[in-house]
Amino acid sequence: MQVRVVAFVLAWCGLAATAAAQTLPSEPVTFGEGRVVIGGDAAVSIAPRDNAYFNYSNYDHNLLRELRLGMTAQVRATERVSLLGELRTENADRISPYALYARIRPFPQRRLDVQIGRIPPTFGRFPRQAYSRDNPLIGYPLAYQYLTSLRADALPATADELLRMRGRGWLSSFIVGDRTPEHGVPLVNSLSWDAGVQVTASWDVLTLTGSVTNGTASNPRVSDDNGGKQIATRVALRPIAGLVIGSSFAHGEFVSRHAQSAAGARDGSFGQRADGLDVEYSRSHWVARADAVLSRWRLPMVGDAASVVDGVASHAPLYVASLRAVALSVEGRYTFLPGAYAAARVEHLGFNKITGSNGPLEWDAPVKRVEIGGGYYLQRNVIARVSWQYNERDTARFNRGRFVAGQLLFWF
Amino acid sequence: MRSTLRVAALVVLVSAALVLAVGGASSRSSAAQLPATGSIRGRVDIRRVIAPPERRPGITELGNPAPRDVPDLRAAVVYLETAPARAFEDRRTPRVRIDQRNETFYPHVLAVTTGTLVDFPNNDSTYHNVFSLSKAKRFDLGRYAKGKSQTVRFETPGIVRVFCDIHSHMSAWVLVFSHPFFATTDTDGRYRIDNVPAGTYAVSAWYEGSNRDTRSVTIPPQGGPVDLDFVVQ
Repeated sequence: MQVRVVAFVLAWCGLAATAAAQTLPSEPVTFGEGRVVIGGDAAVSIAPRDNAYFNYSNYDHNLLRELRLGMTAQVRATERVSLLGELRTENADRISPYALYARIRPFPQRRLDVQIGRIPPTFGRFPRQAYSRDNPLIGYPLAYQYLTSLRADALPATADELLRMRGRGWLSSFIVGDRTPEHGVPLVNSLSWDAGVQVTASWDVLTLTGSVTNGTASNPRVSDDNGGKQIATRVALRPIAGLVIGSSFAHGEFVSRHAQSAAGARDGSFGQRADGLDVEYSRSHWVARADAVLSRWRLPMVGDAASVVDGVASHAPLYVASLRAVALSVEGRYTFLPGAYAAARVEHLGFNKITGSNGPLEWDAPVKRVEIGGGYYLQRNVIARVSWQYNERDTARFNRGRFVAGQLLFWF
Repeated sequence: MRSTLRVAALVVLVSAALVLAVGGASSRSSAAQLPATGSIRGRVDIRRVIAPPERRPGITELGNPAPRDVPDLRAAVVYLETAPARAFEDRRTPRVRIDQRNETFYPHVLAVTTGTLVDFPNNDSTYHNVFSLSKAKRFDLGRYAKGKSQTVRFETPGIVRVFCDIHSHMSAWVLVFSHPFFATTDTDGRYRIDNVPAGTYAVSAWYEGSNRDTRSVTIPPQGGPVDLDFVVQ
């Protein structure tokens, strides 16, 4: 694996040098009269250790403290068909194909595109701005990054077991299904992409997207693990220049077949449904954005831990838990000098209450986050950024986190 | 009567002589103040025309972006490295424009004198955000919609690279000179710099940032055109 990582890094540097001449490259590398276009980005982020795991992603990395190298490519096979892909390595531990899909335009004169493969998320605004250049801050929004305690391959037997995992989404374990401790899922995963088919039709003021994929918004998958497909839609309206209003929906089977079987659930739908609303308005040197995501999961609950042996329940689930989470986010960016900007984001992530033996309590610990920062362009495609992030979680331990983070970002 | 005619004829002759004398002196004086000027003309041969920048692969996009124009990258700029002192006395404030149309700047290369006002009108239905981080001129016009325009005054000689913060494939060059002795080539690579005073000059051809060819040229005292071709790699 290390050999592959080293080869990838060398290839990345080679491409950068090819494009660079005597300075850092600023344009993508092209071959074959523009048929092959290769871009790259590198980000080094530094921050103190996050002992409370506020900023960990589903790749088990602290997003404020990582080295990331990415290489994207687009190959225009014909006038109608392009192949797109991305290879990325984080902290040089492995190379992952984050994206690999074909983009087909059946009618060249119409803005109708079909994408097939490991495709970008349909849901939400942020996945299209998740790359560091488009994200005004170093941290990610809670809805798209923060790990709840829920897992698709493991289930709590009781409400008490779920409540014991409050605020422990970075390493969650339950007794039904896979009992190996693993990270949980965010409300919407912007870092891993789903596999399936996506169709987008665009007009001047309206873009409509629909997709059918293997995973769910919180648990994208390359291969299906439960036989259920997710249907996702997004409507983006641009009534005037600078204003984008987006509405997203996603619904699919969440719990893996293995976990359902372990819980004794023969019938029923144990899925995730997510609804999102986002607004962006920009003018002059300002960009303001607001996001709301509501996610609901249905989980089969065995009802008593005693009936679970080696991860398998001896009887059918007694009830279905309906779990909700709501994430609200507001952010703004202001360019106060050429090449210098300030940005801030305020967020809240809340959960509905379930009743355990000690009474009703949110099934996961609510989180608040404030991040304030800024960036300075050293050159057009090199940004130095710094941010201060404050996190607060409603748990007895590891309930606060304050971080000053720095990032150097380069792309071509 | 005859004497009156004689006097009148004498007055006419004297007046004519005076006019001729003053006029001749005046024209001799002008000739002494304004030396003959010439022009430098020729062709810039661009051996390898740079390909227009492509959009970065839009991996996160839900479909193909809207079509755009492809900029013409064949324009070079020829200019005098040094200029006579009186070339810096012109204090006019010219006004020119760089359009933003179909996600492309028109023209791609603009050469101006210091003090020139450059308008950046947006003719697209989407926002643009023109900016530059060049040493000669650092500015950020912010986002503005179709039909709006913003203006930048270029006061310092130098090379200014202009970009759009929203569309990374959009770029243009503004070359700012402190004298008027420069020209942008046409689509055939031809140029002409007029009104160059007699003397010997270093003349350079610039192409897309770094490709330069510098040559020496002499405008003879009697003026006239001088041919000078360049090759940029």
